[in-house]
Amino acid sequence: MAEHVAKSPALDVPPEPPAKRIKLSPQPKKQDADDSGPASPSATPLVADLAEQLDAQERNKYVKGKKLGSGQYADVFSAYLVTDPTQLVAIKKIKVGAEVKEMGISYDSLREIRFLQELDHPNIIKLYSVFSTKNQNLNLVLEQLPQGDLLKLIQDTQNISYTPADVKAWMLMLMRAVHFCHANFILHRDIKPNNLLIAANGEIKLADFGLARSFADPYQPMTYNTITIWYRPPELFFQAQFYGGAVDVWSCGAVFAELISRDVLFRAWPESEMNMVKLICEKVGTPTEENWPGVSKLKGYVTPTEIQPVRPKDYWLANFRTIGEIGVDLLMKMLTLDPKVRLSAEGVLKHEYWTSAPRPSKLEALPRKGGGIEVMGEDLKRRGGEVPGKENERGDKVARKIDFGAAK
Amino acid sequence: MTTRLSEDDIYRTSTQYRLWSYSPAQLAAQRKKTHELAIARARQNASKDGEQNGASDLEYLTEEEELQLVQRYCGNIRSVADHLKWPMNVKTTAVQYLKRFYLSNSCMTYPPKEIYKTALFLASKTEAIHITVPKFAASISADADAILAPEYKVMQALRFTLDVRQPFRGLKGALMELMNMAEGLMGTLSNTEQKTGKEVQAAMLALKLPPPGSKTPWKAPSGTLTPTHLNDRIRAAYDAARHLLDAPASLTDAYFLYTPSQILLAALHLSDEPLTSFYLDTKLPTTSPHRSKILSTIQSGAEMLASYNPKGMSKEERDALEKKLDRCRDPTTKDLIKSHAAMKRNGVEEGKLDEEKSKRRKLEREKSSKEMDDLFGPSLAGGKANGNG
Ligand SMILES: Nc1ncnc2c1ncn2[C@@H]1O[C@H](COP(=O)(O)OP(=O)(O)OP(=O)(O)O)[C@@H](O)[C@H]1O
Ligand SMILES: [Mg+2]
Repeated sequence: MAEHVAKSPALDVPPEPPAKRIKLSPQPKKQDADDSGPASPSATPLVADLAEQLDAQERNKYVKGKKLGSGQYADVFSAYLVTDPTQLVAIKKIKVGAEVKEMGISYDSLREIRFLQELDHPNIIKLYSVFSTKNQNLNLVLEQLPQGDLLKLIQDTQNISYTPADVKAWMLMLMRAVHFCHANFILHRDIKPNNLLIAANGEIKLADFGLARSFADPYQPMTYNTITIWYRPPELFFQAQFYGGAVDVWSCGAVFAELISRDVLFRAWPESEMNMVKLICEKVGTPTEENWPGVSKLKGYVTPTEIQPVRPKDYWLANFRTIGEIGVDLLMKMLTLDPKVRLSAEGVLKHEYWTSAPRPSKLEALPRKGGGIEVMGEDLKRRGGEVPGKENERGDKVARKIDFGAAK
Repeated sequence: MTTRLSEDDIYRTSTQYRLWSYSPAQLAAQRKKTHELAIARARQNASKDGEQNGASDLEYLTEEEELQLVQRYCGNIRSVADHLKWPMNVKTTAVQYLKRFYLSNSCMTYPPKEIYKTALFLASKTEAIHITVPKFAASISADADAILAPEYKVMQALRFTLDVRQPFRGLKGALMELMNMAEGLMGTLSNTEQKTGKEVQAAMLALKLPPPGSKTPWKAPSGTLTPTHLNDRIRAAYDAARHLLDAPASLTDAYFLYTPSQILLAALHLSDEPLTSFYLDTKLPTTSPHRSKILSTIQSGAEMLASYNPKGMSKEERDALEKKLDRCRDPTTKDLIKSHAAMKRNGVEEGKLDEEKSKRRKLEREKSSKEMDDLFGPSLAGGKANGNG
């Protein structure tokens, strides 16, 4: 690798291979010129398409088992390595819907593949490899995260209790993941508790990059019709087309509040955009030129006529006192109306909340989901290793775009 | 609680670095292998067909001809993207997709005229252009099925990595920094000698003029230079560099051989060498042990960009090459559309294959694994992989 030229001259860092990755897929061997003899024609038939063979080889490394869950556009199965059954993975098989004729491989899966391939971080779900099956289904080999998601913990008020230190630990992992995405110029655009999966060791993993996009070019307009409605920031309701990491920070703020109060912060019902704007005005304050210069020029700027002045700290303290004053200060800065003033992910990580008492809980101390019972019950419905045939069942194709509810 | 993430650290985790970066020798070897395999296979096919008429090498495309063909279709991608008024990043990504595709595939196996539209369509999706296949097909008078049929093929050859790191944002960053320095707003940064904003500005005003042959259109005015002139100089260098990041960076092998920041510095270097050296000096201490290597890398990158020749083949040459390809093209991969449709229709799950079949497949796999190892390096057994060594 000594000859490898990949390094940035702008920085005084010597070139090095990337830090060790647990990659299940074959890594390319960068061969030296001198061991590159001509490909010897052998007696066996020569394959036409080496990439296809490589794909098949990857596919055959796994033994697929029971279904772990299914979502709008994918079924997820447990699987293990042929060579080492103790190594579990999750195989996310993308459903092929009728829209293939219009679109070919779907945007969601292309985005998920594109971005997860680039992101290697302890708090972001790891994509080990991708393969396709004969009938041209895409399969993502992901790390298996058996402890459910954060939403389940938040909602299980019967069996699960947790402390402000636990909230801090979870939020810290989330913010590290988001900061890492932003440092890679990637917006997640769908941060919410059910997209935060939990690993066996209690670590939080940001998942579902189906709505992510790169914000490489600041002059390219982006859709404002994104992020699950309850977690969507005001600038998107006002139809801003140029936005940045601040949209994800708002979602994180909403998750933070939800973790503390165990209730969705902006639970608009019915889930209309108008109701969301109303709720934001009521709970945070009405966006005006005073608190958000330029807001009235946004295309979709509409607010209720009665103006609610921006809520002071006392208001927030009354609802979120358990997290402490410093925590409330951070929460307010994450849920600041004006995205230019709202903290960046890096700004959040620099807040004194993280270093003030209590210290974030250790992973081992974090509460786990209670009932293995429900999961067991699901398993019993199926015979071992059998894959339920749900090939052509697909819910509402466009639901992902239009139904922002996801109140599951 | 933050870890500083340098752009360099981030680049090293990218798939572009991990899977698609080569030394010149590695790149040449990779292409040679792909080419030789295609020919070996074509010969075998020919003898299987009983046409042992001593087909000579002349009937096959040479490696050079393959490159010319790929280059030609990269040009086509660019004109289609321009025709549709798609932004630079889509065009750039699509061209790299096509170039990456032909590192493991020969034009004789998959002729680029059947692949390039698919590469562009795929890039339009990864780069967030929203257009349906029928619409895209209609706008370039192509057949929708022909665009979709090779999509998985392309994904496979891309090894399911879709991100192409581009130098445009980095160049814009350099522009901003240089303009701030020119205005006296920026003292020099960490680990170089300390200078105030004013001193930096003064040093910039005293820079040598761009030597003759520089790509920047900027000409020094008569009389003394003012910060406004400096600003013009920086803008002009930026524009010229951005131009170099378009066709020259995209159509040469620059993306395989250099990092985005090396590419943008190479482009700046060709535009306005004294300005670029000054910029580098603010980043890179003269005492850095890596300095000479970094400078020579930029130099060789600049040479590669400068070597770009916009003049492609003549129409006659192109036609002759396409004819030749028609004759030597792999007959077994001819009907992508049909096999695509068949796959969609009666897709067989690997789990449902009968025993006999799976045994046979296993044998085939073992046989072909040697060839794969040649191409991509051996797979790592048992998932206990370490980094790429
Ligand atoms: N890595 C994993 N490990 C274990 N279970 C998983 C994993 N990924 C997904 N699951 C399970 O599969 C379900 C569906 O996965 P996922 O949310 O990724 O699919 P989706 O189609 O994106 O769903 P959605 O409708 O939420 O968009 C999840 O709710 C979860 O129960
Ligand atoms: Mg999901």
